[in-house]
Amino acid sequence: MIGAEGHYEVKLGPLPTLTGKPTHYCAGCEHGTLTRLIASALHELGVRERTVLVDSVGCSVLAHEYLNTDAIQAPHGRAPAVMTGIKRMRPDLLVFAVQGDGDAVSIGLSELIYAANRGEPITIFLVNNGIYGMTGGQMAPTTPAGMITMTTPHGRDIATTGPPLDASKLLATLEAPAYVKRVLLPVTPTPSADFYNARGSMEGARSVRNAFRVQEKGGFSFVEFVSTCNVNWKMSILQSKHYATEVLAKVFPPGLFKDKFGVEKG
Amino acid sequence: MKIETILAGHGGQGVLELANWLAYFYLVKGRHVAYTPSYGPETRGGKVKCYVVCSDELIDSPIVEDPDILVVMNTPSMDFVPLLKARGTLVVNSSLVKDSRRRADVEVVEVPATEIAGGLRAYSPEKGKDTVIAANSVMFGACLAVSGESLRDELDLIREVFGHFLTGRKAAYIPLNVKAVEEGFEHVSRARSAEPSRTSSVPHPGIAP
Amino acid sequence: MESVTAARDFLKGNEALAYGALKTGLNAFFGYPITPSSEIPETLAAEYGNPQYPGFKVFLQAASEIEAINMVIGAAATGAKVMAATSGPGFSLKQEGISYAAAMELPMVIVDVNRGGPGLGNLGPEQTDYFQATKGGGHGGYRNIVLAPSSVPEMAAFPALAFSLAFKYRSPVIILTDAFLGQLKEDLMFPEVPAQEFDTSWATTGARGPERHILSSMHLDLPELSRHSEHLRSKFEGIDRAEQRSEKFQTDDADVVLVAYGICARLAQRAVGMLREKGIRAGLLRPITLSPFPRGELAALVERGVQNFIVVELNTGQMVDDVRLATGGRARIASMQRVGGLLPSPLDIVHQVEAMSR
Repeated sequence: MIGAEGHYEVKLGPLPTLTGKPTHYCAGCEHGTLTRLIASALHELGVRERTVLVDSVGCSVLAHEYLNTDAIQAPHGRAPAVMTGIKRMRPDLLVFAVQGDGDAVSIGLSELIYAANRGEPITIFLVNNGIYGMTGGQMAPTTPAGMITMTTPHGRDIATTGPPLDASKLLATLEAPAYVKRVLLPVTPTPSADFYNARGSMEGARSVRNAFRVQEKGGFSFVEFVSTCNVNWKMSILQSKHYATEVLAKVFPPGLFKDKFGVEKG
Repeated sequence: MKIETILAGHGGQGVLELANWLAYFYLVKGRHVAYTPSYGPETRGGKVKCYVVCSDELIDSPIVEDPDILVVMNTPSMDFVPLLKARGTLVVNSSLVKDSRRRADVEVVEVPATEIAGGLRAYSPEKGKDTVIAANSVMFGACLAVSGESLRDELDLIREVFGHFLTGRKAAYIPLNVKAVEEGFEHVSRARSAEPSRTSSVPHPGIAP
Repeated sequence: MESVTAARDFLKGNEALAYGALKTGLNAFFGYPITPSSEIPETLAAEYGNPQYPGFKVFLQAASEIEAINMVIGAAATGAKVMAATSGPGFSLKQEGISYAAAMELPMVIVDVNRGGPGLGNLGPEQTDYFQATKGGGHGGYRNIVLAPSSVPEMAAFPALAFSLAFKYRSPVIILTDAFLGQLKEDLMFPEVPAQEFDTSWATTGARGPERHILSSMHLDLPELSRHSEHLRSKFEGIDRAEQRSEKFQTDDADVVLVAYGICARLAQRAVGMLREKGIRAGLLRPITLSPFPRGELAALVERGVQNFIVVELNTGQMVDDVRLATGGRARIASMQRVGGLLPSPLDIVHQVEAMSR
């Protein structure tokens, strides 16, 4: 926190797994939080020099600007396939991607399902904010019914577009994935709204570490982070935290869907 | 030396196998070979028409327009007789094709291949006596005779050809097929010595590169 | 007579190509079944695990053509020798991936066994993917290297050439063949290929200390993207200068030169022989690289005085445009076309040449 050193002990300082470049993410976006959680986990595990990040297309496209590892960009939706190619050739590398809901659940749904179905030992973090962020707020497969977006100006009509897709539940129906979890990442307002609890970040940190551990054990790991997009939801940051907690988390309830290696217990 | 052959029949008669055997025979003998399987509009309706070219030189066109040898396994394939070079050779399965003397300027070699194979009791293992197999091997022997090969010298080579294609459980049929080749070869040799004026046993030299 | 072809193999084109790739040290293959290319993944699947090919580490049938090309991208990023094979409809689907690969300068070999098109088309041989292969195919400005085999021995030899060009220039290389050559069987002897090792110092296989590798095609800064595209252009200019390949057949004294690739070149070669017998001085120029196009040889023929070129191709006129460009309006260019999977016979070609001579 800029200028805070005099009053507080700086805990969240630089890491070798962070480039240190200020992120471009909007104020209030959980991408920044997730970036931090990933960098911490990679640093803790000591795996920076054998990690390859696969950039997806969406707000996470610039991930390599912030995470200080080798990186390769995948076309929109194809990160699971690119990761498969890397990991099959080099099973010794730790391979992961951060994907948005458009990237993973719309154009990339087939690649996601097949990589999961093959049980590829890779890790996918899905940032699900129910909307297309980078392209300016169009409907996503995870947009809740009734939500107003740039391509659903009167609210999403389930009769025309079908209901929102639940990626975690879909993957949980498959035999092969080893770790499928959904976390509500944003700070959640307490009833008085004077305080926020950061349980999401703590849970998120644990989940990111577990996901990497599962990959090291040879399993496919997937964590869906229900997040916010206040800019495209056309809300204030505060309103967006409420919306995530009260609406989005009801459509996509957090939970542990699969844990073949029991990493959540240990 | 260059021999261009067209082989034609319908699906199930083993025409493509026969073409492969011929090609491989000449490959093992040290020639360049090209085999083109059926393709194109002529093969609609279960028809089979394929090409084999063998040559001492590198082969240019694998497609044969005016063959030295035409192998006909069924009556509709007689439609290709006009393609034969003058003084070319028509080798026809006379068990199935009756009217084969349509051109005076080509040698016609009639081989009752189905009857000969039947005589060897070469029946389909699945379908029994209703389906004769190895008629194509009889025709293989006929083609070799027509090309001026000597059976005595080439028996080992013929076994090698069948050994290459009939593998696993099919290997049990090699002796039968070799016998069928011998019968086809002998039939043509006898027919030719009976009618020497009709023979044209020297393969056409083809177009020089 | 001493056997000139002792110990030769008898394979169909698709099989020969698969074995050629294995023998040159293929590391990974990602495929999707599509006729008439499926023998390539089938042969590789059968040989996977054969100790004769210790470098062949990964065989995977993907769930789609798109998934396959993206797996190729991932494996190529590790510096591996990677190949995919498809036919026209699949080649279309792969274009986005190939664009990304060209932008990231990833070496890889993509085989297109051209069938009848457009749309679902049919299973006959065509050369209708010429534009798509040689003019980029995917979005953005880049050029592929495109090799066109015309015989089963070339199908066997070209994977080695393709990989060496792919790694030399860090570029995708397309082997553009067709449904006829894929199924044609000829005798061949596999060339002795020395084991090739390539520089892969650019690969993304984990950061080393502060140094890390980023393979990205995104250049948000306009001048930066401009520099990158200019780099790709100048790279291709170097390829154009150094890698044009073609074969001439009886062109030294020819009055009319046929220009054809793939199976058409074989038919045209026979036609040349037939024309010569009739006293017509015909020759054949066979492009081996369709990209870079052998403009140099064409220009030299024009320089020597050849006034008539007849382009024989299985499409409604694609390579003929490049022949017109290369001859610069200084010769008569005619176009002989067949589509639908139909082939011109050597006699058809002879008649065409005779008709044009009148």
